[in-house]
Amino acid sequence: MFCEECRKNKAVVFLKLAVNNKVREMHLCPACAARKGMGFGLEAGAFNISEIVGNMSGYFKDFLPQERKTLRCRACGLKYSEFKERGLLGCPDCYSSFEPQLTELMDRIHGASQHCGRVYSGGPSPKLSRAETTRRLEELRAALKEAVEKEDFETAARLRDAMRGLEGRHG
Amino acid sequence: MGDVIKSFRPYVAWANARGGWPDMIFSTRVRFARNLQGFPFPNRAEPRQLEEIRRLALAAVKETGIFQRGHFLKMEALRQQEKRFLVERHLVSHALASAVLPAAAVVSGDEDLSVMINEEDHLRLHCLSAGFAIEEAFRSALALDEALGRALPFAYSPRFGFLAACPTNTGTGIRVSCLAHLPALSRLGRMPQVLENLSRLGVTARGIYGEGTYVLGDFYQISNATCLGRSEEDFCQNIDRVIRNLIRQEISAREELLKGGLKLRTEDVVYRALGLLKNARTLSYEEFMQNISLVRMGAAMGWRMGLDFSTFNQVTLLMQPAQIQAAAGRELNPAGRDAFRAESVRGKLA
Repeated sequence: MFCEECRKNKAVVFLKLAVNNKVREMHLCPACAARKGMGFGLEAGAFNISEIVGNMSGYFKDFLPQERKTLRCRACGLKYSEFKERGLLGCPDCYSSFEPQLTELMDRIHGASQHCGRVYSGGPSPKLSRAETTRRLEELRAALKEAVEKEDFETAARLRDAMRGLEGRHG
Repeated sequence: MGDVIKSFRPYVAWANARGGWPDMIFSTRVRFARNLQGFPFPNRAEPRQLEEIRRLALAAVKETGIFQRGHFLKMEALRQQEKRFLVERHLVSHALASAVLPAAAVVSGDEDLSVMINEEDHLRLHCLSAGFAIEEAFRSALALDEALGRALPFAYSPRFGFLAACPTNTGTGIRVSCLAHLPALSRLGRMPQVLENLSRLGVTARGIYGEGTYVLGDFYQISNATCLGRSEEDFCQNIDRVIRNLIRQEISAREELLKGGLKLRTEDVVYRALGLLKNARTLSYEEFMQNISLVRMGAAMGWRMGLDFSTFNQVTLLMQPAQIQAAAGRELNPAGRDAFRAESVRGKLA
């Protein structure tokens, strides 16, 4: 991708700016980013180019490196890139699937990434309906079949335990 | 008129004026965002999973015994008019009212506690209190949260806390908000600066119905913008400090409006607004809100406006379109509503 300003150099700085409640995205080369940076209130001469670029990409880390485009939640299959587009996660397990990425994001949103509030010691297993139990069993059965085919016996054993747990649970 | 609307009282219990600065702080709300372990969040769940979540959540809510005289409402069973009624009473959000998938709301008889099921999160628990009452609203909401957390497995991790569909709500899942009436700061054109300062304190301001709504009658919903990394009590205390600070600013703005040449001008706009409300034969909700805001400020300045703050609060809520229809007991077109509203307001101010 080329720089939107000069259209000559490669764009390496991805800038997301909120101006008057409108989000504007810009893809710039280091030189144009430096010029823009001054326009956005950074004093001229206060930084050299590499400092500004380094500074900005640190501040506006809104680009997606390749590995984050293919990253998916182990449980619900949501892609990390879909999350970035919609702003909503798919299931509670997304938090462990995307833990490093979300840690960084939490720091930016909340200024912290470690929960300091009430500790929850867990609630009872819910009394699932017959339909939901069947659905979950089917999912586990399919995963079990796949694990056995791959000769991943550790996973297979874990899945078998989960199935046994579910069978005794619907109310 | 729907039976659901008839089952609600003709006044709003949590809207009576009380506590410190009843003229400025209309109400306080504390909410928790919670989700069930083992299910996708509503945005990614299939309708039958949402049904299952709703069934489990409604059973758990019943089990707590907190909602014995409450309203248990499945959203798809409600008519548009009934949904609008609930939104206007601050009992459900716009998002829940417009949900097309299995969703529900449970509201206590006093309308102070409510649970939204399958909104952005599986559960949104709320407590509404009259006036400036953060501690009280927090305690009630927490009791509800703890009771439900014993009946259902909440999604929680020691690292991130209570897990929500949107990372902005993850952590404590708490949002503490106060509905503040700030007419003097608005009249002096100070609100943009005030809002900018608030954003630096980790606080956001929204319109009267919350997220994505506009400011009407100089009412601002002030709430915490972050909810992770500190305790629930810390988030409450931060809002408490911010609100006290806003109150001080509004008080000094009101004093300014009464100084020198401004005093006559202030009196003029307040009494004109009173005259309009006392005499208008048709009144849209927007026009009503603009003028009642000024009259409310006049009352706070010690002038005789003919209403106490509880009545101000009640009319502010009860003059909304769906409430007007509920009071009229029949469907009215907009012109009919405006005439009915003008007549009700004249009755109150007579």
